[in-house]
Amino acid sequence: MSSRLRIAGVSVTFGRHRILRDVGFEVGAGEIHALIGQNGSGKSTLVKVLTGLYTAEPGARIEVDGAGLRLPVRPLDARRHGVAVVHQSLGLVPEMSVLENMRVGRLTARRFTRRIRWDDEAAAAARMFDRLGRRVPLDAPVHRLGEEDRATVAIARALQDTPDGGGLIIFDESTRALSRRSLEHFYDVLDGVVGAGTSVLLISHSLEEVADVADRVSVLRDGALVSSGRPAGAAGLAKVMLGRVLDEISSGGGHTRPDGEPAVELTDVVGAGLDGLAVRVSPGEIVGLTGLADSGYDRVPYLLAGVAPVTAGRLSVAGDRVDLDRLTPAAAIGAGIALVPGDRERAGLAMDQTVGENAALPRTGGRGAGLMPIRRRSELAGLVPWLDRLDLRPRDPHAVVGTLSGGNQQKVVLAKWLSRDPKLLALHEPTQAVDVGAREIIVAAVKDAAATGCGVLVASGDENELSMLCDRILVFRDGRVEQELPGPCRPDDIVAAIFAATDRRPLRGGRREGARA
Amino acid sequence: MNSRSNPTLHPGARVAEPRTAPPETVRRSYGHLGSRFAAIGFWLALTVLYAVLTPDTFLTAGTFQTIFGSQQALVFLTAALLCTIIVGEFVDMSVASNFGFAAVLVAVLNVNHHWNVGLATAAAIAVSTLVGLVNGWLTVRLGVNTIVVTLGMGTFLLGLGLWITDLTPVSGLPAGFAQIALFTVGGLPIGFYEGLVLMLAFAYVMTFTPLGRNMRFVGANREVSRLAGVRVNRLRLGAFTVAGLIAGTGGVISAAATGGFDATVSQSYLLPIFAATFLGTAILEPGRFNPLGTLIAVYFLATGILGLQLLGASGWVSSVFYGGVLVIAVTISTLLHRKVR
Repeated sequence: MSSRLRIAGVSVTFGRHRILRDVGFEVGAGEIHALIGQNGSGKSTLVKVLTGLYTAEPGARIEVDGAGLRLPVRPLDARRHGVAVVHQSLGLVPEMSVLENMRVGRLTARRFTRRIRWDDEAAAAARMFDRLGRRVPLDAPVHRLGEEDRATVAIARALQDTPDGGGLIIFDESTRALSRRSLEHFYDVLDGVVGAGTSVLLISHSLEEVADVADRVSVLRDGALVSSGRPAGAAGLAKVMLGRVLDEISSGGGHTRPDGEPAVELTDVVGAGLDGLAVRVSPGEIVGLTGLADSGYDRVPYLLAGVAPVTAGRLSVAGDRVDLDRLTPAAAIGAGIALVPGDRERAGLAMDQTVGENAALPRTGGRGAGLMPIRRRSELAGLVPWLDRLDLRPRDPHAVVGTLSGGNQQKVVLAKWLSRDPKLLALHEPTQAVDVGAREIIVAAVKDAAATGCGVLVASGDENELSMLCDRILVFRDGRVEQELPGPCRPDDIVAAIFAATDRRPLRGGRREGARA
Repeated sequence: MNSRSNPTLHPGARVAEPRTAPPETVRRSYGHLGSRFAAIGFWLALTVLYAVLTPDTFLTAGTFQTIFGSQQALVFLTAALLCTIIVGEFVDMSVASNFGFAAVLVAVLNVNHHWNVGLATAAAIAVSTLVGLVNGWLTVRLGVNTIVVTLGMGTFLLGLGLWITDLTPVSGLPAGFAQIALFTVGGLPIGFYEGLVLMLAFAYVMTFTPLGRNMRFVGANREVSRLAGVRVNRLRLGAFTVAGLIAGTGGVISAAATGGFDATVSQSYLLPIFAATFLGTAILEPGRFNPLGTLIAVYFLATGILGLQLLGASGWVSSVFYGGVLVIAVTISTLLHRKVR
């Protein structure tokens, strides 16, 4: 196999920290090559070197088809060499049309009037969809498209920069927001692309995904490349990535469960995309909520936190009635409900404030316009044990949250709410975009909280996360519970239940096996 | 990153693992200290420079009194601006006009309409507070763009001020009323202490109380604050209202100091308040809007301009200085903010 992309001798140092040490690997023609590594392994730094955001130290070489790129990488130069980058969450602008999204940055104008030749642009865009063998309406705004079509548009857009049957597409955490079904579609499309000879460099947190789709995998650990070779299953990848064996916690249950009144009971909930929902969680029970994207399962944590208004329904927490239709965030917190939202940057943490201040917010927040001084010492004393238990790195309550890695930020969100000793913990995708090490710690912390009698609801579309955490799982359809899976549940069973009757076929299954044989 | 030295770490060992403070934490706090006080050092250096260049005029009690005694209006205005800027409303363009309108109103009511001066004061401050409330209601409840609302409101008030004064300065406030601004304590007019007390109280609220903490979080991330039980909209509305109250109070004190007011004067404060507020983010708490940093910035700017004037520069110097400092201060603030992240 000839090499499409060759990286050699990449070193990056920030201050006195060596982030990358002499990293080098090759991506072959027509292969999907995955790059994995824990948060803090230098993986995102390497990607930023490849996309030109950071500069590598002298001595680094980045070659495409044998021709060296000028360093630092400049996007236009990389594009000329046939390298395309798809950024996080597909990198599309939702309000713009498919055509505009496809052609932005490449638009050509008539010579005199400087008007855009939309006919030519449309033809160029259509050519790409022809190459993929897919059809997407060019004039539809992207937010109107289904997730699968959006994935197609992102691939088509990247494909424009690669020569037919050549070039390289870098996917930088592009697939993390995709549901399982869209993911299958995504790799179906991508399979055709690599089959034609284009190479793919895949950066992903999901080891399951990587193990399924990658032809070869490069693993970064502590700034150095530790292995480059064929994937050996998700467990094998985790072992190489962490340099140790994962503890056996990857299944639901396994924690003690105290008896008592139900921690939370929701009945006849209507509104916020729900229609007659009833859920009951016992103390110490971890209940998963899942379903297709519009089934309403992901609204439940928010309605419990008082931010998704409902028209009708009853709620009782630990036996006490709570007014559901007039529930405010402050009242929900007062009733002992804690929400860990899915969107960490928008709803989880104030990124330019410190760990300590973020964690204390639920306490200070309820006191509105209080003018008595905050007791800082007791504030920190209450927090530090949680930072220890969640193994926050660096373990500094004065660190600004935005400087932490994604996994550590998520630990702060968890510490913020667990330190309130909640009666009900409502989680929305608690381990998304978090590396395996942090995921392990977060799962253990949630189970510890359950063992002390806290009821837990986990709304998630990630079957692996659900399988790790939950005692039982409720599958939603059209705003109500359609099916209950008693635990422990295997990821395959969860996906099967979500898509009812569609089997969880391996991503990119058939073709790769065929190619190998 | 280099603390990941223990590859056999497992959950049971998490708590017990001893951790020594990495040396970079210590270095970072020195660097932190440096950026906190760099601007103050620069201020002192500027003072020394002027003292050396013009020892006869700069090193006098008069200079000291001019720098510290004449900035009461700016101190009140920056405090008003900080109220809204801290809760994340980018700029309230109406504070200067609101200030000016209160100053004009108290003079017109007392001098032209012969109201009791106390009553006129109360009326002027009430009107300014109401203006703040209206600003807040439009931006918070109706969601109108802050800059548009406050720019419009500012121009509207400026026009009203010119109308009620017939385009001429009003003067003739009673001499006794001037004592609320000019009564001398320890060589400085009481207006200086009023500004100082205002900023100290503001700093206390911001640093030590739940209210201050909540204001900062609302500014940093509204959704996070809302989910934590903070009543975000009430806080924003309150910030606009208090901004009006502070601007109005400052206006009345300014009118008292000069015995009257010229409606057009307030416009010349607009740029200096932005310059001082943004320069304040480079002082004491780098990258954050903070009251004491802003207070220091006000006197920093006053020193710079007075020194240049003593060196022979004329009327143009304040525009050049304030404008230049605003651009430089915003740049520094942006860079500091990036560094903090």
